[in-house]
This record gives sequence, structure tokens and C-alpha cells, in this order.
Amino acid sequence: MQNEIIRVMLADDDEDDRLFFKDAFEEIKIKTDVSTLNNGIELMNFLTQPDIALPHVLFLDLNMPGKTGLDCLKEIKGIDRLKDIAIAIYSTSASEEDIEETFVKGANIYIKKPHDFLALKKILEDVITLNWQYHTSGLNRDNFLLSL
Amino acid sequence: MKLKSLFTSSFFLKSIFIASLFILIFISTFLYKHSIGLIDSAELLVHTHKVHLELEQLNSALKDVEINQTGYFISRDTIFLKSFRESREKVAKSIHTLNSLVDDNLTQRNNLDSLQKLITLRYNILFENSINLTDSIPMNARRFNKSLVEGKIVMTTIRDQINKMIDLEKIYMVERQERYDNETFFTPFYSMMLLLFSLLVFVFSYFKINKDLESFKKSNDILTIATESMKHAEEIGGFSSWQWDVDSNTFTYSDNQYRLLGVEPQSFVPSMEAFIKFVHPEDRHIITNGEDHVVNHQRPNAAFFRIIRNDGNIRYFRSMGVFLNNAEGHKILIGINNDVTEEYLISKSLEDRNHELEKSNRELASFNHVASHDLQEPLRKIQTFISRIYEKEVEGLSPTGKEYFDKIQAAANRMRILIDDLLLFSRTNKVEKAFEAADLNQLLESAKQELAQAIEEKNATIKSDFLPTIHAIPFQIQQLFINLIGNSLKYNKPDIAPVIKIECEIIRAADYAILNKNTNEAFYKISVSDNGMGFEQKYSEAIFTLFHRLHNNSDYPGTGIGLSICKKIVENHHGRIMAESIPGIGSTFSIFFPIK
Repeated sequence: MQNEIIRVMLADDDEDDRLFFKDAFEEIKIKTDVSTLNNGIELMNFLTQPDIALPHVLFLDLNMPGKTGLDCLKEIKGIDRLKDIAIAIYSTSASEEDIEETFVKGANIYIKKPHDFLALKKILEDVITLNWQYHTSGLNRDNFLLSL
Repeated sequence: MKLKSLFTSSFFLKSIFIASLFILIFISTFLYKHSIGLIDSAELLVHTHKVHLELEQLNSALKDVEINQTGYFISRDTIFLKSFRESREKVAKSIHTLNSLVDDNLTQRNNLDSLQKLITLRYNILFENSINLTDSIPMNARRFNKSLVEGKIVMTTIRDQINKMIDLEKIYMVERQERYDNETFFTPFYSMMLLLFSLLVFVFSYFKINKDLESFKKSNDILTIATESMKHAEEIGGFSSWQWDVDSNTFTYSDNQYRLLGVEPQSFVPSMEAFIKFVHPEDRHIITNGEDHVVNHQRPNAAFFRIIRNDGNIRYFRSMGVFLNNAEGHKILIGINNDVTEEYLISKSLEDRNHELEKSNRELASFNHVASHDLQEPLRKIQTFISRIYEKEVEGLSPTGKEYFDKIQAAANRMRILIDDLLLFSRTNKVEKAFEAADLNQLLESAKQELAQAIEEKNATIKSDFLPTIHAIPFQIQQLFINLIGNSLKYNKPDIAPVIKIECEIIRAADYAILNKNTNEAFYKISVSDNGMGFEQKYSEAIFTLFHRLHNNSDYPGTGIGLSICKKIVENHHGRIMAESIPGIGSTFSIFFPIK
């Protein structure tokens, strides 16, 4: 993973959030390939194409028109080819219900969108450098919600 | 109980009656037999007297015969002879009478037979001879004398025989007199016994019947009152009773049934057809279905339906019934109709209000959603852009521009805190029943960790007792500790390190005005006290109201939500919270949790 460029993907319907996301990765020193999609439908259309390079980490906004982040999560976990993609929920809300449900459905981490650019950079860097092997095997609720 | 005693009483009475009847019949029969015996013995006694008398008469008649004979012998006058013959007839008549009298007595008959023979001997042989001898001329004096002597001897024998018979009759008489006396002695005794016993039975029957009558009268009174009170109860309670003899398809309505239908009592003959005319056309199927159900399944269902009175007034009825068998074995459905119009309308309006409440609750929930997402989103962007400007563009701003920009940032931060607190409050409002056994020591520890930075900054000391484990919503209790300790840290006295004490004791509800004084329930009293700036006691209640603040925002930034959240949390746990404070000395917040 360290040798190749990390492919990071974000599905978020908010233009500003996509901008912050891209800006943050530009300032992070780790080499990443960031791509963004405008909603859940676009995301699933992309992922279900054959012969594409799948992202290493997929960031999912929950509140999206058409197909919500949760819908996408459920679909991805139901497709063999996709189910091993590390999924980070990336949402404005941190309601108990959302956290509970996405955890149960197999998301790997839950990030509440920070309201500070520096904090955003830090959290995204943390997520990228996370030892996913370790994180996914020791899955539990306590470290699911990534605190800032 | 009462009925049973009545039944046993009637059974008892019957037994007594039958027993008395038998005893009376027995005594009467006995008395009758006794009387018959008495009459018999009286007759026997009379009979003996008659025999005795007749024998005496015979004796005197014989004497007459002797005298007349002697007279004739002396005077030779035929007058004596005539009297003599008359006396003989008397003797014959006496013997004849005696014959019929002693017919039933063998001894006396034998005696009489021998007497008769002697008399015949006396008359026929000797006597006739004597007279004939006297009449013959010349008279044979020797034969005559001999005849007289023989006559005398026979006569003595006759007297002896008569006396013998009289003696026997005397013996009989004594015997029979004794028997008669005996019987006459017992007769009044038996009669008296019969009379006394009859009197006893009459008196007993009278008292018993009188007593039963009284108890019947009493039960009757009770029944009358019960019937009356039932009638009134029906009127007051707005219900009516009816009976349906399913086998003969006849109905009986109580008076109030008619009143509930808005008509005069007994103004029509009750029947299914007559009743169904009152039922709202849309609800008639309920009645007909119910009728079918009763007839086919022999099981009544409760029914709810509307009726329309003649004046157009719509009433709501609830009908219930139960099956009973009457004396003739008919199946009787006994039921009540209840006019539930008022209750129905109230519950309907409650239901409507409930719907409205649910609707407004949903609106509130969606407002929460708006607050949590849609309000946060633009604010987050504002803050993120602010942070970007601070990072890169702040040098390009004029000093005034920078000052304004600082204010924008402060306002945005304040708005963030406000939104977060509001969300927290609304989440506390939503009572999730996630109660579990919660160790307060652990929750306090977690709260202290959350506040670690502030505790360190203020150089605060927190002392706590050992706290109990209670049935609670853990995250809310933790929030409670965070808010209370946070308050103490925030409102400390300048330059004095805060000392916060958390104590716990078990108290009784009756000792605290804030708790329900009428119970002696036990509570945990957990108090959080500090050495902070305190506040005036008159604010001790106001501080718990939403958005209420005692200080300027510039001095102590805050939202006025924290203590409202505390109050909400404590109430969620069926507890109470109160505050005591002395300005300049410190404050104590006491929380009461019921011990279950």
C-alpha cells in the first residue's frame, strides 16, 4: 500500500465539501489519487463498471439525493468484488441512529465533518495512514467513530 | 346465605308439619279407640245393672207368687188366684227378659237354665199340685203339707240360685266398674294430651310462620329496594337492560331502554325489528351480524353502534350480553346497553388531540433534523471558510477588517455551541427507555475525563464519595455530571482554585419539601458542591429554565441550556434537582434519585 498511490474516492452531493476534500488532500504530504462523484447513483454506476481500478478508501456522505450513503453501503457490501473496499462514512450529523446503522451494515469508520480546515486535514490524514488491516480486524464500536 | 336459610326453614317446617300430622292422627285414633272402649264398658256396666235389676224383679215376682198362693190357701178367695196368675206371668216375662240379657254369658245362661228348670218344677209339679190339692174336696192334708214343704225347699233353692246369679253379677259389676273407672280416669288425660299437643303445634307453627313471614317480608323489602335502585342506577348510569329469549325470539326491555332510545317507557312492543329501526343505517349490519352470531354460535359479542332518536339526535351505544338458561330451559341472552355518547365524544376529541400532538411531535422531530443537518451544514462551511481565510488570507486584511473578522468567527463559534446544546437538549427530551444498571462512579470518572482540560486549566480538586449503582440511562447521567461539574469550573471565584465535592447519602422523601412528602420512599441524594462565586437564592429555580442566564455573555459565555438539560435528565429518571447557594461562598446542586 505504501508503494503505490492510494486511491481515495468521495461521493458527496455538496460542491463545497468536495472542494474542501480535494484541497485538504492536496495539502497532505501523502501521495493520493483523489476522485469525487456527485451522488450515490453516479458512485454505483462507476463502481459497477468492469475493469476499473477500485478505490482503496471510499468516503460516503450519508445525506444524498436519489441513493443515500446507506443505500450505497448496503449495495457495496452485497457485491463480492466491492465488499472489501474500506468505507469511511463522512457526514455532517453524528446521530446515534446513523452511527449504529452504518456500523451494523459494515462501514469501517465514521467521520463527522469537522468545521475547521486544519482539523479536516488532520482527520483525513489519520484515516489514510490508518492501518486498515488492524482496524478492520479489531472492529468495535468504540473506535468506529473517529474522534478528532 | 339468606336464601339458603329460607330453604332449610321451609324444609324444616314441612318435616314438623308431617310429624305433627302423624302424631295428631295417632293420638286421635288412640282417643277414638279409647272412647269406643269406654262406651263398651259403660254398656257392659249398664247390662250388668239390668241383669241385676231383672233378677231382683224376678225374686220379688216369685215372692208375689208365694204371697198370693199363701193368701189363696188361707182365704180361698179367687182374687188371690188371679193375682197369683198375674205374678206368674211377671215371672215368665222376667225370665224371658233375662234370657235375652244373658245370651252372651255362658255361665249366667247355664245358671238361668237351671233356675228356669227349678221355677218350672216349682210351678208345674209342686205348686200346681198344692193348688189342685187345696181345691180338691176333701182335702188330703198330709199330701198337701208334704207338697207345701217340697215347695218351700224348691223355693229356697230358687232363691239360692237367684242369689248366686246376683252375686255373680255383682262380681261382674265390680270388675266392670273398675274397668270403667279406669277408662274414665284416662279419658281426660288423653284428651288433655291431644289438646296440649295440638296447642303446641299451633303455637309453634304460628311463631315459625310469623318469623318466616317477617324474613320473607325483609327479603321482599330488600328486593324491592334493589329493583328500585337498579331502575335509578340505569337512569343515572345511562344504561339499560334487556333480555332476549332466543328460543321463542321474544324481548323484554327495561324502562330505561326506551328512554335511551328517546321514547316513553313501554311505548312499543320490543322486538329486533322495532329496535333496528332506531339503529343508524350504517350500523345496522352490526346488529344483524351480532344477531346471526348469537343464533349460530350461541355466543354473544360486544357491539358498538349508533342509534338515531326520533328527534334526529345521534347517540353511541355499547351493548354487551351473557347467556343464561331460564327455568324452562330456554336460552336467554341478558344484556345491557350503555349510552357512551359523552365518553365516546371525549375520547374522540382526545384521540384527535393526540393525532395533533403526534403531528406536532413529528414536526418538532423534523425541526431537530433541520437544526442538526441543514443549520449545521452552512455554519460548518462558514467556519471552514473562516479557518481557510485565517490560514492563508489574514495578512491581506486591514486591522479593522481583521477585528471584524474576529467577531465573525466568535459569532460563528457561539452559534455552533448554541446548536450543539440545543441538539443535546432535544436529544434529552426524547426519552429513550435505555435504562440499565449504571455505576455512578464510572460515569463520574468518564465525565472528569471529558472535562480533563478544564480541570487542569483551573487547577481544580474534585473529591467524591463512593457512589451507588442505579437504574439509569448512562450517557444522560454522564452528561449530568459534565454539566454540573462544568458549571462549578466555569463559575469559580477568580484566583481561587475550585474545590468540588460530590457526596451521596440515603434520605427519606418525607424530610424534603421538594419530594412527595406523603410517602416514606427512600432516595439517593447526590450533591455537587463548590466554593465558587455562587448566586442569590432567589434565582434557585429560574436557573433551570431554558435560556435563562444570570451573567453577561461577555463575562461568562454560555447558552442557558446546560441546567435545563440537567433538570430534564433528572426528571427522566423520576428524580428531582434543587440548588442552594450563598453568593461568594459557593453553590450546592442536589439530585434525588428514587431507590427502587
